[in-house]
Amino acid sequence: MKTKIIPVLIIFILGLCSPLLLSQQEVVLTIREGVPAISLALPPFIYDSSSPQAKQAAETIYQVLSDDLRFSRVFQLVPKEHLNYIRPLNPKEIFFKDWESIQARILLVGEIGLSENRMTFEVRIYDVKSERMILGKRYQPEPELFRLVAHRVADELMKLYGEKPYFTTKIVFVSNRDGNDELYMMDYDGANQTRLTFNKWRDYMPAWSPDQRAIVFTSYRAGNPDLYLLYPYEGRLSPVSTKGTNFSGAFSPDGKKIAFCSTRDGNAEIYVAKGDGTGVRRITFNSAIDTAPSWSPTGREITFTSDRTGTPQIYLMDAEGANVRKVSFGGNYLDSPAWSPDGERIAFVSRVNNFFDLYILNLKSNKITKLTETNSRNESPSWSPDGRHVIFSSNMSGSIQIYSIDYDGTNLRCLTQEGENKLPNWIN
Amino acid sequence: MKKFLVMFLTVVLVISFAASCKKKAQEVPPPPPPQVQEQPPVEKVEEPVIKEPELTEEEIFMKKTLEEINQEKPLAMIHFDYDRYNIRLDAVPVLETNAKWLKDHPTVKILIEGHCDERGTEEYNLALGEKRAKSTMDYLVSLGISPDRIRIISYGKSQPLDPGHNEVAWAKNRRAQFLIIEK
Repeated sequence: MKTKIIPVLIIFILGLCSPLLLSQQEVVLTIREGVPAISLALPPFIYDSSSPQAKQAAETIYQVLSDDLRFSRVFQLVPKEHLNYIRPLNPKEIFFKDWESIQARILLVGEIGLSENRMTFEVRIYDVKSERMILGKRYQPEPELFRLVAHRVADELMKLYGEKPYFTTKIVFVSNRDGNDELYMMDYDGANQTRLTFNKWRDYMPAWSPDQRAIVFTSYRAGNPDLYLLYPYEGRLSPVSTKGTNFSGAFSPDGKKIAFCSTRDGNAEIYVAKGDGTGVRRITFNSAIDTAPSWSPTGREITFTSDRTGTPQIYLMDAEGANVRKVSFGGNYLDSPAWSPDGERIAFVSRVNNFFDLYILNLKSNKITKLTETNSRNESPSWSPDGRHVIFSSNMSGSIQIYSIDYDGTNLRCLTQEGENKLPNWIN
Repeated sequence: MKKFLVMFLTVVLVISFAASCKKKAQEVPPPPPPQVQEQPPVEKVEEPVIKEPELTEEEIFMKKTLEEINQEKPLAMIHFDYDRYNIRLDAVPVLETNAKWLKDHPTVKILIEGHCDERGTEEYNLALGEKRAKSTMDYLVSLGISPDRIRIISYGKSQPLDPGHNEVAWAKNRRAQFLIIEK
């Protein structure tokens, strides 16, 4: 398969070595819930108004970037009308006091230019208080990659403030839009939906490797639900486990291991293979159904579903299978646990009166909060890389589609329309 | 009306007159009566027809394709309770009939598909579907069917028989069904 991500040409990097950039080798991820977002001024981009191509580039990149920043919950855009209170932006001579007066902490200046008949996009990010440029970048994208350029800039901003960047990551999911269940991927915002598998058998339950170069998934292509590894950018497929029913694959956060569920020894148990699919080892030994493994961000523990007490419940164990303990309470049908990237929370599905909703168990406070409330079937939660968002599938509109919602239950958005779409995976 | 009647009668009269005139003109003396002669009996000329012996049931079966056999659904499906995979009492006679059929057709190999209704999660349903297929297989084995003749597969909730969202549809969809894969 031809790769879709063509590296955007970065011509040169301006002002690269800001102290902020150097200070973020090891980022400890914490969700600063309730902390006010960083106020960012995003004046309209500067472009040659006589060129319709420049106008289109400026508008597309501006729109996508402002959508990203609004979605982030890290940044807050200074309202557009506040820009009317100050002098218009002069990129040659910026009056920082003006921007400070409208409460902007960061100023992002974007400029579309033309160089050797190709569009260039230059972005400069200023810290308003210190009146210094903290990051400058210049891109020369093909028109179909304007969205990617915007996502790149959003990622740079996230990195500047110690946040995990994810705007250029992909969501993998299952869609029947072409007749049967096949794997697809899309941008985090639902754009660029791309088909990944092409056959008449069911391909099912995909999960990314942490570097998003490999997908572990279940396929019925050989007449049995087998576990495979797909390398979409290399056009390569290799089997992992092909005896019994094999499903619920999940990469460890370092990419070196794959946990999955299999009935290869007769009963649904959890197994761990190496990252390349070899060296399969069994780690649960119980006559009940053990399934749906998800790794802790340290890779030292696994959360999973088991019905050893009679109904499916959420459990934890260490990565070798020892020290099994039940962590769920109050509910008689719980499944699909997903460990958050900050390690503190587990999102899961609970069935109550035939409705399926997503809940979040906080492992520190041992409190459970309800994330969705739609009187429908909300399933298969998967966290965003920064732990502020959860994607899932739901039939709330009648057909099954993929949605995203923020950690606090706000900002519900539908990401798919065509056919039925389910089993989304962003990270494990 | 009257006019028509008159015309019709006239036409009939003219035609009958003409016909009688013709007959008269063709009249010839009758031929002499044929001489009575004894004819030899007719000899039958035929080769013996090869008659195929009637096909036994087994032979009819072997002539059919797998697709044709599966369309006739010789093995009835069984259903399960919500969230359960144990064999229900009403499924026992069905499985006994199926076991008898399998004994009558000793070369047949089957695939048991386990299915679930939509009121379960994707992961748990895939495991539950397999348990349903497995308990169905175990029951057939207990009735004397060799496990070598049975394969199982789970489809979870991905292949409902009835796409509805009510108790009737759900009850139909919680099932184990049989596919003949070798004869």
